[in-house]
This record gives sequence, structure tokens and C-alpha cells, in this order.
Amino acid sequence: MQVDERRLREALSKPAEYGEDLDLGEFEQESRERVEVDEDVRRRSLEVGVDLRRASSLTTFLQIDHEIAYRAVQKQFQGDIELMPIQEALERYPWVRELFWNLVSPYADKYTAYNALRPPSGFFLRILEGRRLHMPIQACFFSYSPGIIQSVHNLIVAEPGSEAYIITGCTMRRGDQKGLHIGVTEIFVKPGAKLNYTMIHRWGPNFHVRPRTGIILEESAATSYNYVLLGHVGSFQSKPFTRLEGRGATISMSNIIYLDGSSKMDMGGDCSIAGKNGRAELTTSAVALDRAKLTMRGRILCEADDGRGHISCRGLMLSDEAEIYTIPELISRRMNASLTHEAAIGRISEDQLIYLMSRGLSREEAESLIVRGFLDVSPLNLPSFLEESIKKIIDLAIKGF
Amino acid sequence: MLRVENLHVAVRDRLILKGVSLEVGDGEVHVIFGPNGSGKSTLAMAIIGHPDYRIVSGRIFFDGQDITEKPIDERARMGISIAFQNPPKLHGVKLKDLLARIASENGVGERFLEIVDRLNISQEHLNRYVNVGFSGGEIKRCELAQALASNPKLIILDEPDSGVDVGNLELIGRFLSESLRGRSALIITHHGYILRHLKPVKAHVLIDGVIACEGDPDQILNRIMKDGYRWCERCRLMRGV
Repeated sequence: MQVDERRLREALSKPAEYGEDLDLGEFEQESRERVEVDEDVRRRSLEVGVDLRRASSLTTFLQIDHEIAYRAVQKQFQGDIELMPIQEALERYPWVRELFWNLVSPYADKYTAYNALRPPSGFFLRILEGRRLHMPIQACFFSYSPGIIQSVHNLIVAEPGSEAYIITGCTMRRGDQKGLHIGVTEIFVKPGAKLNYTMIHRWGPNFHVRPRTGIILEESAATSYNYVLLGHVGSFQSKPFTRLEGRGATISMSNIIYLDGSSKMDMGGDCSIAGKNGRAELTTSAVALDRAKLTMRGRILCEADDGRGHISCRGLMLSDEAEIYTIPELISRRMNASLTHEAAIGRISEDQLIYLMSRGLSREEAESLIVRGFLDVSPLNLPSFLEESIKKIIDLAIKGF
Repeated sequence: MLRVENLHVAVRDRLILKGVSLEVGDGEVHVIFGPNGSGKSTLAMAIIGHPDYRIVSGRIFFDGQDITEKPIDERARMGISIAFQNPPKLHGVKLKDLLARIASENGVGERFLEIVDRLNISQEHLNRYVNVGFSGGEIKRCELAQALASNPKLIILDEPDSGVDVGNLELIGRFLSESLRGRSALIITHHGYILRHLKPVKAHVLIDGVIACEGDPDQILNRIMKDGYRWCERCRLMRGV
């Protein structure tokens, strides 16, 4: 899509609809350090599910600040997928230029406008028609230079009948580092394609995150869009949008959130069911500790026959200074649509604690087991080996609990 | 193994047990009968150390130690275990993970898999969350597996035979008759079905928070079956309790 630079410059001063407003002038635009893939980068990437030691055997894309540090397609999948820097895809394919900025508006707010004004960086991934990848594709976006705005734009096309798992991990070099991550992701899921897109993010108290995501599903396409955030984040705001365009399309958006410190997070999920028999499910399990504040906005609009939607939010409060706020919205324009929501916020149940303690676990062990159980990974719809590895990542992240 | 002395227990401000005394020797299986609301579960909860059950007076001794003041988890680690009647659901905690955890903490290791096998717990059941969507029989078998996975010295079974079908009852009965060998056990039962498979050495009848009657389990059960608990009421009057 062609963008209008004048409008973009105007949009640079437009705050996002939700979340804390940031002054982009307080951040660095370019990396001031020479990027190096060292042991720190490898260790922190592993903490967000991206194993760089297996980079030679797994399809991998590693971007540090704005530099593509590594990319490779697993040998057995060569010819099944295309993975390249977005810049390269835009130069090579006119149709990619057409899709670019189609699902997310570059004028939406200052973050999208900033992103659109910069030279594009990020990946283009195309899973070719009918190809089924049983091994995950891993991508890592690493913030390296202190104070930097890491601006990323990814575009994914799952062609008809294809199937893939994508794990993207986002993190940074040092826990106290200042910075801003603006991640634009546009996902096109063609008829009958199945895609599982799972993000694992770990940030710090001085880091701000503004993901902007648009997904479109054609006939009988199915997507699981999963977001896992563990620990501390300065501020986070996102409201990924999915349009279920084709008949019988299915989206499951799941969030697993473990928020501590003084984190401020405004997370949403917005689905529009436009095709007959569309199914949308938004699920959040969130644990709030310390002074963390979480707002959950779920919205499902149904404008198609026999559409079904469900929003579920479960919150666990582990501090009196924390806050969880849920705002579910259901809009139906069809008599035969069925939209439901449920939300429950509470503390750890004493009955569960006593039950586990009667088995010999100490109170602390029992609490930890309940919190781990609460951050249940089964809604992510992952194959068991990925489910186990993400469970381990969560367990390690909350080890101190 | 277990000695309860003149135990008075209150739940919130209501006194439920009003002076219960009993003793279970090493390797002995005892049974507690009693009508609904007589205090059977309260006795079980007081023995395991449930914090909602306040011991007003009296003492509990286990394995030679006074455990009256000990917290629930410590008692469990000393070797007391329980199969609950109505356990809570543990969302996100898989049965196999919990069993493995209990077993490893008690040095049972992989042997818990034998218990699982003997209780006919399927892989599918093991992969489900504890008590979430379990049938009545599945709950009972899951409770027994947990209670035995810690290799306890004393096991308390709170109504192991209520709400289970005949097939499950057979299986549970056979399992218990093998698994209780060499252990002390206190079995709480309202209607005594489980006694078709187990031969306890002694029965205690609890009525209105006191032991109204004690003796041979078969004889007592027969009388209860024939005359109901009214017979025990009279017995209690005769004993001047």
C-alpha cells in the first residue's frame, strides 16, 4: 500500500487510543553500539524460547536492533517456505508491496507512523501452498543498544492449506535497559491454512512495548495467536485485531501474563466475525504481583450467521497494590450468533493450598504450584514438545516466586 | 501409631467433637461409622491438621510424638495421608505431575506408576488437571493414588465408597486390601460397602461428636444395617456417655 508521508508526519504526534503516551524524542533512533551475538544474547534469547544454538538446524531469523544478525531456513523445509528481510521481499515482490500496511493503519498513532517513516526492518515469511511444517520457525527480536527504538515490521503469508508454528521471542540485552519496541505484524491466512503464532516477551522496568497486529483469515483458515509476557515491563499497550473474513474461519487469541514490579500493561484482543460460522475465542490468564497494573480489553463483533465468540479472563491477584481491570465487549448483529464472556479475578484459594499441603508440600511450594498451574499453556494449542518447552520457560521466569 | 485423647474440636465457633479418644496400633485398620453430621470428617480433618478445624482441648499423638500443634504439611511429611471425600479442583496441575511430585518428595520415585496401574488410571486421566471434570469414581481413584504415593504410615480414607459404581467399588476394594498391608488406616464410611473387601480390627461409632460404641466391625455393621443408628443411640445411653 502507498503511504502518504505528510499524513504520517502529522500522525507522529497522535497518541494511541489506550495506554501511557510516550515521547518518542526521549529515545535513540539508531544503534550506537556494534552488535555482537555473544553468550548474553544467546542466553537471553533462550529465555524467550529462541534457541540460537540450534540456529543451524531450525529455521531461524535473528534481528538485533535493526540489523539482521542471522537467518537460515532449515534444510528440509527449503522450497516449502520463504524467509527473508522484509526490505528484500518488498523489492522482490510487487504483491508484497500491495499487502504491506494493509491490516494495520500506518496513521493509527505515533508508533505506527514512526514505524512507517523508517526504512522497513523485520521479516517476510511465506509458507507455500499445502506445505505442512512440523518443526517450529523461530524468530528473535533483540534490543541491544541502550535507549533505542526498535522498530520492526513483519509480514506473514500462510498460503492455502499450509500449516506452521512460529515462535517469536522478544527481549533485550540488560534487564534495566531503557528502550521502546514497536512491532508491526501483518498476518494473512489463506483458505484452509493453519497457523500458530506464539510470542514470548521478557522486558524490564525501563522498557516500553507497542505491538500493532492485524490478522485476516480466509475460508476455513485457523489461527492461534498467543502472547506470553513474563516479568516486568515499563509500559505495554496493544490491541491486536483479527478479521474473520471467510466462512468457517477460527481464531484463538490467548494471553499468558505474569506481571510484576511497577509494570503497566494495557492488553486487548479485537475480533470481527464477517464470515458465516466464524469462531473467535479470546483467553487470558494473568497473575499480578507487586504494584503491577493490567487492563484487559476483549472485543468480539459478529456480523455473520452462526458466528460464535467467547471472551474469558482469569486473574490471580498476589498483591493488594496490584490491579487487574477487565473490559469485555460483545457486539452481535445476528440473531443466530452466540457470544459469551466470563471473567474471574481472585486470590489463591485456601482450599487448594490446604489440599496440596496435606500432600506434604510447604505453603510456598503449594502457592508456586498453583500459580504455575494458573499460567496454563494448554490454550496455546501447541504440539506437546513446544508446550513443554514453553512451560519450562514460564517455570524458570517465575522461579523466584 | 495413632492415639487421640479426649479430643474437642470446633469449626468456627461450633463444637463438633466433644471428647473423642481412640487408638490405632501399628498396621491396624480401624473403621469409623456414624450418621451424617456426627463428626466423622471433622475427626479426619483434625488428625491431618486442617487449619479450619480448631482443637479446643485434647491431644493427638502419632508415631510416639505429640502432633497436636504441628501444621498440616509437617504431619503429611511425618507419614499421615488422606484421601478426601470432596477434593478441590486444581486447574492447570496435571495429575501425573502432582503424583510424581508427591512420590519424589517421599522417596517413592517411579514406583508411583505401579499404584497408577493398579488403580486403572489411564494415560489420558493422568494428563488431565487434578479433579477437573473427573467422574465420582475417577476422583476416588485419584485420591487413593495421591494418598498412597507418599508411602504413608497412616492413611485416612474419608468415605472411599460413597458415590462410586459397583465396578469402581470392586477395584478400590481390591486395591485397598493389598495396599493397606503393613500400614495403619482409619476408614470413614457411612454405609460400610468397603468392608466387603477389608477386614478392619475394630470399629468406632461416632454419634453427635462422641464415640458411642466400639467393637467388632462386622457385628456393629450388622446391627447398624438392621436397626440403624438408633441402636447406637440406645447403646450410648446405656454406656452413660
